[in-house]
Amino acid sequence: MEVRIEPCYPEIDAHESRVIEDLKSSSTQPIAEPSGWLDEEINRNILVTTVDKLLNWGRKTSLWTETSFTACCTFEFISTSSSRFDIARFGMEVLRSSPRHSDLIVTAGTLTWKMAPQIKRVYDQMAEPKWVIAMGACGISGGIFADSYSVVPGYNRILPVDVYIPGCPPRPEALLAGIEKLRKKIEQSSISNKS
Amino acid sequence: MLSEFGLTALFIVIVLGFSVSLVLIPVALRKPGIVPHNPSDIKSAPYECGLDTIGPTWVQFKIRYYFYALLLITLDVVIIFIYPWAVELHNLGASGFWPVVSFLAIVGTGYVYAWRKGALEWK
Amino acid sequence: MAELILFPASIRSELPFGFWLHLAIFAIGIIAILLTSVIIFIWFERRLVGRFQLRKGPNRAGPFGILQSVADVIKILTKEDIIPSRADKFLFWLAPVIAFSPVVVMLAVVPVAGGALLADLDIGILFIIAMSSITSLGIFTGGWASYNKYSLLSSMRVVSQLVSYEIPLILSLVGVVMLTGSLSLDEMVNAQNVPFILLQPTGFFIFFIASLAEISRSPFDLLEADSELVAGYNIEYSGMKFATFYLTEYCEAIVLSTLTATLFLGGWQGPWLPPLVWLLLKITLVFSIIVWIRATLPRLRIDQVMGFAWKFLLPLAVLNILLTGSFVAFWPEAPSWMIGIANLVLLIGYILFRSRFFKPGGVTVGAS
Ligand code: SF4
Repeated sequence: MEVRIEPCYPEIDAHESRVIEDLKSSSTQPIAEPSGWLDEEINRNILVTTVDKLLNWGRKTSLWTETSFTACCTFEFISTSSSRFDIARFGMEVLRSSPRHSDLIVTAGTLTWKMAPQIKRVYDQMAEPKWVIAMGACGISGGIFADSYSVVPGYNRILPVDVYIPGCPPRPEALLAGIEKLRKKIEQSSISNKS
Repeated sequence: MLSEFGLTALFIVIVLGFSVSLVLIPVALRKPGIVPHNPSDIKSAPYECGLDTIGPTWVQFKIRYYFYALLLITLDVVIIFIYPWAVELHNLGASGFWPVVSFLAIVGTGYVYAWRKGALEWK
Repeated sequence: MAELILFPASIRSELPFGFWLHLAIFAIGIIAILLTSVIIFIWFERRLVGRFQLRKGPNRAGPFGILQSVADVIKILTKEDIIPSRADKFLFWLAPVIAFSPVVVMLAVVPVAGGALLADLDIGILFIIAMSSITSLGIFTGGWASYNKYSLLSSMRVVSQLVSYEIPLILSLVGVVMLTGSLSLDEMVNAQNVPFILLQPTGFFIFFIASLAEISRSPFDLLEADSELVAGYNIEYSGMKFATFYLTEYCEAIVLSTLTATLFLGGWQGPWLPPLVWLLLKITLVFSIIVWIRATLPRLRIDQVMGFAWKFLLPLAVLNILLTGSFVAFWPEAPSWMIGIANLVLLIGYILFRSRFFKPGGVTVGAS
């Protein structure tokens, strides 16, 4: 019997490849780490400082993670969130599948260009304030696939990454250390800064 | 008794006001910059796991769901009859028992029929 | 005030503080206690689930992590408020209000001590049933208004599930009503010299399971099955509106625990301790059982959920009505232990009988 394979929705396929090519050509340079404000002298008064303290404490204590994991580093994340390492101690065991509810993307895994527009869209749809942790060698620079035509060389091409965690894969302790770094970073942010 | 109903109604109003204010807090906090607010086209598009949505969302739904609604209405009527009867049963005694049993038997026949016809199946 | 909470006499007859003060005390009291207990119970559940899974659970914020939910509230309150551009804006704003208000209103008829309740309606139970069905309307409105396919599907599931479990839920309380001869919750608690769980084990069984489904707790949490429906009816909600839905879920769980404690466990009655403390202890007990169930059972399939309501619980509820009704009608002076044992025999016999023939949803695994 003759088998014919036709693309069901040729215009959608064409649109998809156009989006990917656009993204590829527009992200040749890494996006800078969004921490310029750290050195900036911000004019804080006593009220702003108090509100900042409260907000930052709340935000760093309940970081809800978006479940958008792409490859093998995920298993280290799962291991971190289960009994032995227990991410719940930091109030982070709430994994929300909807970007509207979540504060943090842990980019655990290799990202291909085919998947990149989706990840970027998920990030864009997250409610602010939001943070990104690049986990693993692939997340930082593409890792062992850095030379491949199909792999995004580092998440910072498409997202502003806050914390980088090296390793292939990073051990759960490393992930916890990275989360600790992010919490320190959140502590220093301020509402009077609109970056 | 009327004052009890008045209390309930006022309480409903209080709770409504409370929950409306709960939802409106972020709008008030937006002004001093505590709640961030920068909408964009992508952000306010429907979330479908990072893809564009295809086709309309508000479409006709499976008839399956309405079967249960119909059955609910039937049985809700039964409940309306049963509650006053249950409250007064210890005064009515045996003479009040048999009519409701026959009533339940009639409804039960319909229930068995619906079961036999497969109306209770989720397909 | 303190006397009212600790040792209330029969204050009902004349509303000792007058109409407005009575309203103010109870309205503020109910809302304050409910919100505080939600914050504590969320933390409690997370700690308890952690223990069930050999973890520690949240322990960084405050002593034993007790401020964890406070941090969650602060964060979620100051999160951006996203309104989808294609949503039905008015309903989108209205839905959390519709879902949240009736849950709180239900507590108006629950006595915290003898005669101490906001409004002693003589149709207490009917009021609670009516209010509990409005919440599902709010959830459906939210799912429909957000213009999202997943949330629409999820809210359709919610409505069909709630509609199915409402019937056994209401019918299971008829036995209690017959034994009391009144619909007022105050009189129901007063009638419980023996807690109704001993007289009406079948009613308790149906009521507890049906209300688990009614508040969509596991194993009936189909509406927010993460793996198939992303996050359920509240996908598009962020910030405080999402928090209101979240609050609704927990308030429902607490109100369910309160109702179970009031209707079946003797309410505020108990020796030595003040009535309010007894009520809170019983609520904590029931809530812990709900968490235990969540930590133990996997989620059911939708056809199993529906089949269980219509084919298993509904006949059992009707049988319970007939059994209890024949006791009340023909033998009103029957000793209470006899009613209890007959009821228990019915429950166990029915489960044994049905478990041999009954297949949930009419399909065995692998048959189709
Ligand atoms: S860094 Fe290593 S473990 Fe992580 S995604 Fe890349 S290849 Fe996999």
